[in-house]
Formats: sequence, structure tokens, C-alpha cells
Amino acid sequence: MIEWSDTHRSIRDMVRRFVEAEIKPKVTELEHGDLPPYDILRKMFATFGMRDMGEIRAAKAQARAEKRAAARARGEDLQQEERTESGDQVAMQMLPIIELSRFCPGMVTALGVSVGLTANTIMSRGTPRQIERWAKDLLTLDKIGAWAITEPGSGSDAFGSMKATARRAEGGYRLNGNKTFITNGPYADTIVFICKLDEDNDPKDRKVLSFVLERGEKGLVQSKPLKKMGMHSSPTGELFLEDVFVPNDRLLGETEEISYRSGAKDTFTAERTGVVAMALGIIEQCLQLSVEYAKTRVQFGRPIGDFQLIQLKLAKMEVARMNVQNLVFRIIELSTEGKRMPLAEASGCKLYCAQSAMEVALEAVQLFGGNGYMAEFQVEQLARDAKVLQIYGGTDEIQISQIARSLLAG
Amino acid sequence: MKILVALKRVADPDNANKVKIPGSGDRVDTTGLEWKPNPFDEYALEAALRLTENGQQPKTRAGEVVVVTFGPKETETTLRAALATGADKAIRVDATDDQLDGDLVARALKTLVEREKPDLVVMGKQAVDGDSNQVGQILAELLDWPQATFAATIEEEAAGSVLVGREVDGGVAKLRVKLPAVVTVDLRIVAGASVYSTKTARTFKYNEGVRFAALPAIMAAKKKPLTEVKLAELAADTKLKVTYAKFQAPPARKAGIKVKDVAELVDKLQKEAKVL
Repeated sequence: MIEWSDTHRSIRDMVRRFVEAEIKPKVTELEHGDLPPYDILRKMFATFGMRDMGEIRAAKAQARAEKRAAARARGEDLQQEERTESGDQVAMQMLPIIELSRFCPGMVTALGVSVGLTANTIMSRGTPRQIERWAKDLLTLDKIGAWAITEPGSGSDAFGSMKATARRAEGGYRLNGNKTFITNGPYADTIVFICKLDEDNDPKDRKVLSFVLERGEKGLVQSKPLKKMGMHSSPTGELFLEDVFVPNDRLLGETEEISYRSGAKDTFTAERTGVVAMALGIIEQCLQLSVEYAKTRVQFGRPIGDFQLIQLKLAKMEVARMNVQNLVFRIIELSTEGKRMPLAEASGCKLYCAQSAMEVALEAVQLFGGNGYMAEFQVEQLARDAKVLQIYGGTDEIQISQIARSLLAG
Repeated sequence: MKILVALKRVADPDNANKVKIPGSGDRVDTTGLEWKPNPFDEYALEAALRLTENGQQPKTRAGEVVVVTFGPKETETTLRAALATGADKAIRVDATDDQLDGDLVARALKTLVEREKPDLVVMGKQAVDGDSNQVGQILAELLDWPQATFAATIEEEAAGSVLVGREVDGGVAKLRVKLPAVVTVDLRIVAGASVYSTKTARTFKYNEGVRFAALPAIMAAKKKPLTEVKLAELAADTKLKVTYAKFQAPPARKAGIKVKDVAELVDKLQKEAKVL
């Protein structure tokens, strides 16, 4: 794949029309006010048939889980079959991400955590019953999901310093712990809570388990949205659990034998490739706004685009756009060929794209001068939003160490 | 009901200020302009889709919509987009704009109508590039079909007719046209309560505007039938009746002047502008 196909362009135009009509007029409330993104996302899902696609995905996941369960009952260990999506399916996911990210990258985060991280975790680890109970409503956006791993004292070293615990109790478990920086935390209906099984053993030997919590659970407090630098259209919060009792059927997989650590790689790869599409949206928008500004802003009697220092900025932005777009094409092309991107490569993509988006957005602010520093001109918001791409889904530093580890292995 | 919708691709009307006329004055230079479907034709397609469904269950199609465009290969994108929103098949008549005029398009459409045998032809009242506003009327005349132009509302009636509302000074004129017929539409046709098939309850309100295509439908549109027809197959005589002698940009607006006071203004209006 060397360029978008006509079909891809049709999808892009259709989504762009929706963004212009439904999101652009509300950017101020979403990014500078307190409007949660969920109703607009639901409208988008209904408009583009994504709700129906979600139902189909849930049904397929349930069928797969039933096959897995049947195999286990026969004593076979059925490896989770490789699920690869076609290139067009991947493109169909990426194009809305790119278009949304031009105005509200936070909406992509809120959406991705709910239908991506949370639903995917339930689908890959849950029993057929659990998938039916929770995943379907998440995939249709009828319910909003949150995925709770990070804690005040554990970020990059998520499992190592994790303090949240589950202790066995009569008929279930008692859960305790604090989670923070949880996307959708304030509004989530369904929460995947990741913690360690406390058997009075050394914390580093403890199993990592995941549970599903529902809004309103006794002992569960969901904080108000936290104030943050950017991504204001993605509500982020804290979760406090004090002796929350959950029955056994809340344990994902309904067995303690599936450790959460295994298979986390797939989650990381999906998250990282999503960031590539977000970066492209931010870069495309910054570049487009900058080109228009360079043509129309007049200083010293001519458009600032006549000045070579401005031209240099535009050229560098364009090169970043070309590179990031090519990585998007590569991710789509790999799927077309039925291949998966190795984790180290996904790390490399995420690192490069997050840094590029940040650089481009800051250059756009500079190019706009005083106007760039003002909220009215949008590049200010995109610059604040871009910063988190270097932090969440694995910091730049973590990506670097994973790339290096893969190079030095063997 | 089977409906034929004529769609034209035009240079994006929002970029009209980028239109250039070369020094020779023999044409309009469209290089670098973005292409879009003519908005009135998009409204025509929306009206046709509303007439071939129950508005509450738009996924179940109740009728057939055929879209046709006259244009080069690139215009197939416009047709695919129409297929994605719900049209059943598409026809591209291979031609470029300079080979066409309203009369020739209407004559070629007549042959297509005879082949496809639709119950209704719906099209925009005019294309926003040439603004000729001719094709619908000429086509109805050539077919000897009834016509209703500038439609703001269309209601399908059980007795094989449509009731078309036309906004006129001081009210709405209603025309009952027997099918088959030609209807050209105005922009009000995409309001929430403008178009009703016999299947759609009169209490149902559509979303204002042109519908969106679902993403899987955009993918599936690749597999819907799209055929190419040569212009000469449809019209034996392809000679144009309308020829353009010369193109000229409107003169640039001259700078205005500032007046000191009302007295000077009145003086200038009387003596120079001669309007008082």
C-alpha cells in the first residue's frame, strides 16, 4: 500500500463530514469545558454502522471463547488462535482515529480505552458468559469501560510495584487498592481491575489477576475528572477500592491459573499502533493550519510563507507527515498480508510518531507566534494533547528500552 | 418504485474564488480545484433513497435507485459514494464536460431512461458550476413525461403519482404528477419532513440533510455494479447546441472612496452616482 485507496478516501470524507457537523461546533465545550465525549461518540457509532459492527465482534468473540472452553474441557490447551484483521478492517479503524485526532485526540483515547483496552481484555480472557455479560455493551458503547492498572506508586513498572490486592473470601474475593490516571474512570460502567492475589506471600511472587467491577459497587469510589495538561475530551480519574466484595464470576476467565502478565503484549501492540494514527491526525491538522496561516499572515509587507525560516518549519512538518503516514500504511499492509507487527517494531513506531506529533505541534505554535499561544487558534490545544502520546501506552523511555532489548537479545 | 438519479461532479463551490480564466479566454481553468458532487444532486439522491424505503427501517430497501453521471473515470468516486449511501447500481457515461451541454445530456439521459425504465427521474434543479437549470426540463419534454421542478417536498401516493410541493412567493404550490415523471429538487427537499414514501409514517422525521454511509457499506459499495457507457451509444448526434465564445472574469472591484460628511455624500450621490 503506497497511498489511500478511493474507498479509504470515501471513508475519510464521510467521517470528516461528521466531524465538521458534530464535533467541530462543540470543540470548545469538549476541550475547554466539561462536556464528556460519550454522547457524540455514540452518535458516531450509530451513524457509521459501528454499533452493528460491535455486536458482530462480540458474537464472534463469544464463539471463540466457547471453542477455547470446549478445548480446555477436553484437556487440550487451545492456543488462542491468531486473530488478524484484514487491511481494510484496520484502515476502517484508523481513518476515524485520524479524523477525530485532528480536533479532539482525547475522544480517541476515551473511545480506545472503552472499546479497545477494556473490551479486548474481557474478550481475550473472559469466559463466554463474561463476554456476553460485559463485552457486547462495551463494543456498542451502550456502556463505557475503564481499564485500571496504573497506581499512584506504579506506572512504567506496572506489575512490579503494584499494591492493589485481591484476597480470597467466602464465595469470592475482597479487593483493595487505589488506581489513578484511569481513562473514563469518572464515568465508567464497567471496569477491568488488575491486582495481585494476596496469599500472605512475598508481593513479587504474587499472581496478577483481573476482575470486572460495575459502577455503584459497594466500597468502590470513582473520583471526579482530574485536571490535566491536555486531552480534555477524555475524562481521567482515580478509583478507590475499600474491601469491595466480588463473587467468583467477576474473576476474568473464572480461574486463577491465567496470569495477567502473559498475553499483555497484544494489548501493547494494539495500543501503540493506535497512537500512530492519532499522531498522523494531529500532524495533518497542524500542517494544514500552518500552511494556511503562512499564506495569509502578512508581516514586513509579505506573507510569512515567503520567509525561509517559516519554509523550514513547514518542510519539516511535511516530512514528519510523510513518515508517519507511511507507518500507518505499513500497519495496514501487514494486516493485509496476515502478519502482525512485532512488539519492538510497534514500540519504534510509537516512539517516533509520538515525538513527531509533539515536535510538529510545537513548531506550529511557534509559526503562529502570539496567536499560537492563544486557545482560539487550536494548535495550542493540539500541542498540549500531543504531549501525552510520549507518556501513556508506555513512555518514550520504555519504548526505547524495549527496542534496545530486542536489538541486543540473542 | 425504481428511480433514476442524475449526479454531476462539480468543482467545489466553496473554492469558487480559486477559479482562473487563462489569458486565451477559451475555457475555465479547473486545475487544483477539489471535486465534489453537485449539492442539489446529492439532495436528489437523498430524496430518491427516502422514496424507496420505510424511514424507520432504512436498511431494508424497498425499490431500486440507479445513479448516473456523465464524466471521466475519476467521477466513479462520486458514483461509489452514492452506492455506499444506498443506491443499487451506477452508470457512468464516459465524457468530459467540454463535450457536453444541457441538451446533449438530456438526449443521452432519454436513451438511458428508455433502457432502465424507471418510474421516476430525480435530479438537482441545477448544477452549481454552470447553473444552467435545463436538463430536467428538456428531458421531460423529450420523454413527453410530466415534470415538477424546484421540488421542496415529495410525497409518494398509492395511485401511482407523486405530490410535489414547490415553494412559490407567498406559499407552497402542490403539483400532482402521474408517474413516470421527472422531478428536480431544491435544497428544502432534505429537511426532516420533506419526503415520504407510502411506507414511511407521516409522523416520522428524518435527520436534516443528506445521510451518512455506514463504514461497512462504503466497503461493500466496491462490489455493487457500476457500468460504463459511451456517449455515442446514447446519442447519435453528439454535436453541441451551446458553444462558448469566450470566458472572461468579472472586472476586479475598484476601491471605494471616503467622504468627509453627509453633505459631501449627498452631493456625490446626486452628481456622480445620479441616484438621488
